[in-house]
Amino acid sequence: MTEKKFTMDRRELIKLAVGGGAVVASLQIAQKASASKPEGSSPHQWAMVIDQGACLGCGYCTNACQAHNDIHPDISWNRVIESSAANGEKTYTARPCMQCEHAPCVDVCPVKASYYRADGIVMMDYDKCIGCRYCEVACPYNARAFNWETFSGENPAVPEWGVPEVERRPRGVVEKCSFCYHRIDRGVALGLTPGVDSAATPACVVACPVGGRIFGDLNDPESEVSKLVKTHVTHRLREDLGTGPRVYYICPENSHSLEA
Amino acid sequence: MKIKSLLLKLTKFHYWLAALAIFMVIGVVGALIVFVKGLVVTNLTDLVPWGLWITIDLSSIALSAGAFTLCAAVYLIGLKEYQPVARTATFIGIIGYSMAMLCLLMDIGRPDRFWHAFVFWNPHSVLWEVTMCVGLYFTVLTLETMPIIGGADWFQERWPKLSAILSKVHHYAPYLAIAGLFLSMLHQSSLGATYGVLKARPLWYSPSLSVLFMASAIVGGISLTILASMFAARMSEKANVNDRLLDKLSHFVGWALALYLYFRFWYAFSMTYTYEPGRTEGLSLLTKGPLAINFWFGEILLGIVIPMIILLKKDWRARQWTRMAALAMVVGGLVAYRWDVNLSGQLVILTYLHEEITAIYTTYMPNLIEFMVGAGVVAFGLMAFTLGVQFLKVVDHASEDHVHEPIGEPSLAAGD
Repeated sequence: MTEKKFTMDRRELIKLAVGGGAVVASLQIAQKASASKPEGSSPHQWAMVIDQGACLGCGYCTNACQAHNDIHPDISWNRVIESSAANGEKTYTARPCMQCEHAPCVDVCPVKASYYRADGIVMMDYDKCIGCRYCEVACPYNARAFNWETFSGENPAVPEWGVPEVERRPRGVVEKCSFCYHRIDRGVALGLTPGVDSAATPACVVACPVGGRIFGDLNDPESEVSKLVKTHVTHRLREDLGTGPRVYYICPENSHSLEA
Repeated sequence: MKIKSLLLKLTKFHYWLAALAIFMVIGVVGALIVFVKGLVVTNLTDLVPWGLWITIDLSSIALSAGAFTLCAAVYLIGLKEYQPVARTATFIGIIGYSMAMLCLLMDIGRPDRFWHAFVFWNPHSVLWEVTMCVGLYFTVLTLETMPIIGGADWFQERWPKLSAILSKVHHYAPYLAIAGLFLSMLHQSSLGATYGVLKARPLWYSPSLSVLFMASAIVGGISLTILASMFAARMSEKANVNDRLLDKLSHFVGWALALYLYFRFWYAFSMTYTYEPGRTEGLSLLTKGPLAINFWFGEILLGIVIPMIILLKKDWRARQWTRMAALAMVVGGLVAYRWDVNLSGQLVILTYLHEEITAIYTTYMPNLIEFMVGAGVVAFGLMAFTLGVQFLKVVDHASEDHVHEPIGEPSLAAGD
């Protein structure tokens, strides 16, 4: 038996290691440039406009969301946050998932459980999620909630605020608002128009008693969201981060409800 | 009395093992509670989803860095006299990564899906890269540990053929060292980047975290290797150390600490310039707030400055107890640093309201169950190391028979 002899020169070895590193690094960068593009294409780009001038902070949207998406009462996908404006009057910020164009949660997920749909909705694959909660840490909007325990038993929001339309998520995965994609998909299949026909529109939009939430297709110039975004001064939350949210807000002072 | 005579026969070693076993049982009890009831039994929340277990996970990986550093020193740089120390470091490494994986298994909501990252790739995610590297590097460590197990006398006697196969892996040590260096450089720094890439967290969002994680891991990993070796040599006759080597390594740690202090200082204080929402609040949390004692004493004074002085001063370094104390402080400082990084970014929440982007504070303190599981994981690590010292002679720095020719030097043994 002869021992294996290492004939490789040390310098060559280091060259090899550095070269290998460069190859892997450039692969990573190339990956990053083309990161997580959605598969397929869609004629729609769903978006939401929230009129803060109309919002009363009643929380109907939250309740409808809890019922329709069958969410554990301890967590929420859709909060209404109270803040005071400069003149001392209360302002409410209703906050669903922003369905970001460049979503930090999609970037960081180690198993691609968060992904983009072609119509812009940021989806969760609850069968893939391992529950590492990196997306929670990465989301600038606190829009994600973890299932800390099994949700068994009654949902207190049912049936007063609606009936569950989706499966309950198992313990140990992160969940979030999906723009009620199930209502959109079913509605579109039936020939309805999301944002116009309530059966095809997110539950929170339908539940809002003052018409403070408007939903529709940004690709359709005739949709109400397209018109509102064109005619009103709107802002999106933390636009400075470059996340490109698909939820547009109209400040109380720019509110269209005042014009009426 | 039978029991009395049995008790008299028990040595300190038995008590040590019994104590560790008790903590391991406590850990298993905690783990079972978590598996039955879910993570709701911890103090983790949607605002602070990463806590004590992540700190232990990060710390065990960092403190395992002695393995790749010393293997690279021996097999790539050619400092072959450190080979027996690298052997100790490798064994500590495999324990550290096992501890990290145990912690992660506890921490993720769906431990049954731990393998998903290997199947559902998202190469864009830093955490995916870390998972892949940790998985692959654990394989490297397993291969590196095979000759240690195969080389044990009792193993050779009982399974001579298997022992020969396991020992043969040692011929590939230089290649394993390259793989180990490569994978470790990637994931040790990427663990810092896991935090550093998050734009929504101004205190973390910085490329420096990768550098700091790397530097502190090298310092802490080598320190733990020296400390564990010295401690084992005092406690067990199965362990022996070559003090000349450990002294030289400790001296290196002293200089490395100076470099690390420079980076840490430069990072922390370059960030104080101009106010930025979230970042400035995070820094004041660290320097004046609830993390201040941890930062100034744990990280800076005890973690870097005092051990640096001790390890750079020749006669203080030569004294066994001061050196051990200094190394223990470095190890503690590393844990404090991981704790501070993980928490400082999470405890400051930046509001996203249009009218007022302000920072608000939250709190986190691990609860009993988290401590139970954490203690169990640490006890497992200590138990594994103790058994390694006793039965695999992992701290055997005087023996020369494991020395392998480094790459680049003509092999005298070859061809004979």
